[in-house]
Amino acid sequence: MTAHPIFDAHGLAKRYTLGQTKVEALRGVDLQVRAGEVLVVAGPSGSGKSTLLHLLGTLDEPDSGSLELDGTAVATMNEGARTLFRRVRLGFVFQTFNLLPVMSARENVELPLWLAGVGGRERRARAEAVLAEVGLERRFDHRPDQLSGGERQRVAIARAIVHRPLAVLADEPTGNLDSETATGVMDLLTALNRSGGTAFVVATHDPSLIARAPRLVSLHDGRVAADSGGGVA
Amino acid sequence: MKLLLLALRNLARNHRRTAISLAVVATGTAALVLTAGFVAFSFEGLSEAMIHGGLGHLEIALESATEGRTATLERSVSEGMADWEAVQKQVEALPGVLAAAPTLHVAGMASTGTGKSAAFLGVAGDPIRERRMGFTVRLRQGESMADAPPREGEDQVLVAQGLAQTLGVGPGSRMTLLAVDPEGMLNALDVTVAGLVTTGVQELDTRYLRLHLHSAQRLLGTTSVSNLVVTLDRTDRTGEAQARVRSLLAGHQPPLDVVPWTQRAPFYSQVRALYRGIFWFLGSIVFALVVLATSNTLAMSVMERVREFGTLRALGTSIGQVAGLVGLEALWLGLIGGLLGDLLGAGLIVVLNGLNITMAPPPGAVDPIELRVLFVPQAFVGSVLLMLVVLALAAGGPVLRVARLRIVEALAHN
Repeated sequence: MTAHPIFDAHGLAKRYTLGQTKVEALRGVDLQVRAGEVLVVAGPSGSGKSTLLHLLGTLDEPDSGSLELDGTAVATMNEGARTLFRRVRLGFVFQTFNLLPVMSARENVELPLWLAGVGGRERRARAEAVLAEVGLERRFDHRPDQLSGGERQRVAIARAIVHRPLAVLADEPTGNLDSETATGVMDLLTALNRSGGTAFVVATHDPSLIARAPRLVSLHDGRVAADSGGGVA
Repeated sequence: MKLLLLALRNLARNHRRTAISLAVVATGTAALVLTAGFVAFSFEGLSEAMIHGGLGHLEIALESATEGRTATLERSVSEGMADWEAVQKQVEALPGVLAAAPTLHVAGMASTGTGKSAAFLGVAGDPIRERRMGFTVRLRQGESMADAPPREGEDQVLVAQGLAQTLGVGPGSRMTLLAVDPEGMLNALDVTVAGLVTTGVQELDTRYLRLHLHSAQRLLGTTSVSNLVVTLDRTDRTGEAQARVRSLLAGHQPPLDVVPWTQRAPFYSQVRALYRGIFWFLGSIVFALVVLATSNTLAMSVMERVREFGTLRALGTSIGQVAGLVGLEALWLGLIGGLLGDLLGAGLIVVLNGLNITMAPPPGAVDPIELRVLFVPQAFVGSVLLMLVVLALAAGGPVLRVARLRIVEALAHN
């Protein structure tokens, strides 16, 4: 476990322009996430959940405020350093799964390892082990279009954790799943957090996920309305 | 490995679009291969026709006769070679030399008993050597001249069809040749028309006639020749042979010049330049068409996968790798399309050559020409390389677009 918080944000603000309208997505968010925490960011649509995850994941830059990732200020990182940080330290799970359609489940999971320069044999073994861990040992060679929604999201989760990142950022991971499958996915995230110690930051407005959140941060109009604290599952 | 494979698989996603792009690239490649093959055939045919039509590979003549006048077929006998037989013997001893044949150029007036007359340009030679050198005389009527030196009063000529028409002569006709000798005296020689020939060039056919070297020497009252025409076993060794003959004759007095056939045939260079121009013009059109067609395909392919590129970037793929992926897809298109084009081109060459198509005579020529297309290995390799360059250019816009994508916007793209 590292001494620094994985994410240490102070006064994060972000504004967008949508056509003629200026939208203040975040208005000064303070947030710390430590290693091993499971944090659910909840709030209605437009509350700034996705924007917060984008900033934490270095996919976008804040207009103001400061953000440190594992002790390093994002403002000091160039594009290459941010790319490298994402590659090595972070995992991402998207609402629409975002698997590469021309790759099999195993190849999709191998992708972060390939980017990290892991050799072919080890890459394959690790990908298969993680796919087995998420219950897809019979689906290694299936392409995304041959998998169900729940299976696709499991592949996406396997891809997010295969390189053992410090944290996984999941944006509405159950948004495209039925409630039973959504529960299974949340169980999986919790289990992976317990077994691997990876922190999970999950943005959702799914009440069933919110009800089970070890730590719940509620956003409203771009501000933290409430933070339950105590995020270890 | 992954990027190459991923790029290839991405191409296979949209079969129809990829097939159309490949067809465009392959057709462009095949067009270049075919054009290059036809141009090569034309160059080869033209060069061999000129060499074996009388130019030979090299000409040996007095330096004073060639100085500043290399691009000419005629040499005045007043600047002829007197000791040509000794030079001929030396040159024919060199390796790669098939023969060194003497020629004597005669210009004068031909008259018939019916009172018709016309100016002529005569080329006299040694029929035996010329046959050894592969020189061809395109006989249209009558028969060739006798090989042996004719006795006095038995001189024969071969008359080009156009000149024969002007003079109203045919095989067996008698006529008189008038020419000025090196001393300025007007000489005459009675000759018999052995046959009618064509040079293959309409303009030349109105003035041309051939006669035996001895007949021409008799007409001009000389034992000299205008030049020696040397043929080699291989055309591609002309430069090498020129240097060797030059070195052999370096100390000769009066100084001799050794002129390659290309310098004596500006027409060949002009045709070559023209064909090259046509080839590059056509190449530019193919280039532009393939760039336009494939850049559109690549742009569409990128537009459809914006979210995918956003995902790759989010996962830690660098801008260079993502842009490289698009570039590799373009290069795969170029490589596969180019190789298919080579196969298509090779097949078409076999088919076209098998059809024995005859084309109308080119401007100024007499005989129709057979359409042949040569296999030019450099064209097969070069056109594939060109397609790689074309596709790299076509990928420029899409690659830039991908490189400039903002991850968040790309992930939100529908």
